[in-house]
Amino acid sequence: MAIIDMKNVSFQYTANQKALSNINLTIQRGEWVSILGHNGSGKSTLSKLLIGLLKPSEGEIMVDNTLLNAETVYDVRRKIGIVFQNPDNQFVGVTVRDDIAFGLENLQVERKSMVDKIDFYAKKVGMYDFLDKEPSALSGGQKQRVAIAGILAMSTDIIIFDEATAMLDPKGRKMMLDYMKQLNQDGVTIITITHDMKEAVLSDRIIILKQGKIIKDDLSEAVLRDKHTLEQSNLQLLLPLDILFELEQLQLSNERIKEILWELSLNA
Amino acid sequence: MKNIVIGRYIPGNSFIYRMDPRNKIITMLILMIATFIINDFRVMLIALLLTLLLLPIGKISIKRVYLGLRPLMFLLLFTFSFQILFNTQGPIVFDRELNYSILNLLLIATIVFAWFFTKRYVPFKLIYFLFTVFIMLYVLINFELGNVFNTGNIRIYQQGLELAFFIMIRLIIIVTLSTILTISTKPTDLNLGLEHVLKPLKIFRINTEEIAMIIAISLRYIPTLLDEANKIMLAQASRGVDFTEGKLKDKVVQIVSLLVPMFIISFKRSDELANAMEARSFVPGRARTKLQELIWTRMDTIALCFGVILLMSSLIMRVI
Ligand SMILES: Nc1ncnc2c1ncn2[C@@H]1O[C@H](COP(=O)(O)OP(=O)(O)O)[C@@H](O)[C@H]1O
Ligand SMILES: [Mg+2]
Repeated sequence: MAIIDMKNVSFQYTANQKALSNINLTIQRGEWVSILGHNGSGKSTLSKLLIGLLKPSEGEIMVDNTLLNAETVYDVRRKIGIVFQNPDNQFVGVTVRDDIAFGLENLQVERKSMVDKIDFYAKKVGMYDFLDKEPSALSGGQKQRVAIAGILAMSTDIIIFDEATAMLDPKGRKMMLDYMKQLNQDGVTIITITHDMKEAVLSDRIIILKQGKIIKDDLSEAVLRDKHTLEQSNLQLLLPLDILFELEQLQLSNERIKEILWELSLNA
Repeated sequence: MKNIVIGRYIPGNSFIYRMDPRNKIITMLILMIATFIINDFRVMLIALLLTLLLLPIGKISIKRVYLGLRPLMFLLLFTFSFQILFNTQGPIVFDRELNYSILNLLLIATIVFAWFFTKRYVPFKLIYFLFTVFIMLYVLINFELGNVFNTGNIRIYQQGLELAFFIMIRLIIIVTLSTILTISTKPTDLNLGLEHVLKPLKIFRINTEEIAMIIAISLRYIPTLLDEANKIMLAQASRGVDFTEGKLKDKVVQIVSLLVPMFIISFKRSDELANAMEARSFVPGRARTKLQELIWTRMDTIALCFGVILLMSSLIMRVI
């Protein structure tokens, strides 16, 4: 069951340069997909197209079997939520409670069920004790968790994380990754946009964008090993795999490999 | 930046805190209108007394109200002296011949200079200022030194005096009431109340919900912007911009070095914020439900009735 289906989608901000060209992409319900690519490769443009903040110059986008157009865009937005990169620029409410409520208010949810949902989803992301706090009293990771709660409360089927961990400290990043895992287990379709390979490892499938084109779309295990493609798009192999490949090339004895690994770990 | 503290919400608990923000705004407006209708000096004093009585009853910090009044002190003094000096209606209540001499004027100039150069060392600036003004008046009225070259009369008329007092008391009442409102109401509640009170403006096709949303977003981002301004100031200071007091030219450099980055950051921020809001199904102008609840209690009815009664009685007293 495809939940997202993009056919021949192109987009250009300016007349002479395509930010995305000829994108064909199908994502299944419940899948966890990573979109990798260097700065300016068109990742954010892709996510804005999916949620109807931008309109494709060519091609069509289906979300949950609905063709995305001017009439259906508000229905589509109920199904997709985005967590953006900068925690401060997406926190709309004066308090955590107000912020989680924002989307519900827009969907004209009754006050009574709004209150229940806010409590439920605040507990779910571990922010229940912070409901009356203002954003200035929260860490970046906490603000991003509030953003997740605000999206979950709208019962979206798909959540896009557009470099949502880029501005967080390692602890905040780890926590976000744990939430992504949990959400995916709960059946939410997840799209993580990143240039951090460690994040991509967790997903089922990796798509690599380069200059607005998909240059690779395969299962994670395969892409992570594909040194050639990764280097081509300025991405780095995961350190353990990098070491493994180097060692394989040297064709050394097991004893020698052990010694080298020991030295590496002592120097690290 | 310190001024922002004036009239800011302070958590507390009293019947004023618990009142419906809509009612607070309306009752306050009614009371303000009443002060403009009152034209009897004694009634005005009673009104002032009642207003000041609200502070202890409503558990509102008197110091905060005083801080709110302080920036208006100059305006108060100005209108007060303007009325006293230039209103020439009604019987004369004060009449005195004035004799100036060059020495008098020199003395006054000396006093002004002395005040100007010593004021920064005196902790009670306002009191010191008033003290200086009184000394000047005293020199102006009571001294005759050397050759008198110009004489005139200083006359104060009854109506001038009355109007001066009326305007002053009115201003004090209005500032006190509005400070009570802003101290006892959370900005978000105040905004919601305002949205409801302004609803009649819809007849003129003014979108009150949109205005309320703009205010809400501003409320949300004022602390963030202040933080940002501080960070930029630190960054620019480390590059050599001097933010301590300076000449006009330095001030311009300070302001530009602060405004340019602020402008760029704000532009990026508003773009991202607009995206984030739309992504969460916000559509400008479309109806929304509200998490905040407005609860009208019996206390609100009583307060409103009380306000209306005061307004009525001030009207009746004026007519009689
Ligand atoms: N608002 C815009 N106007 C014009 N060009 C833009 C705009 N936003 C992005 N671009 C351009 O489109 C390309 C893709 O940008 P983006 O999707 O933000 O990349 P990524 O998210 O992968 O870093 C870049 O070359 C960028 O310069
Ligand atoms: Mg991006």
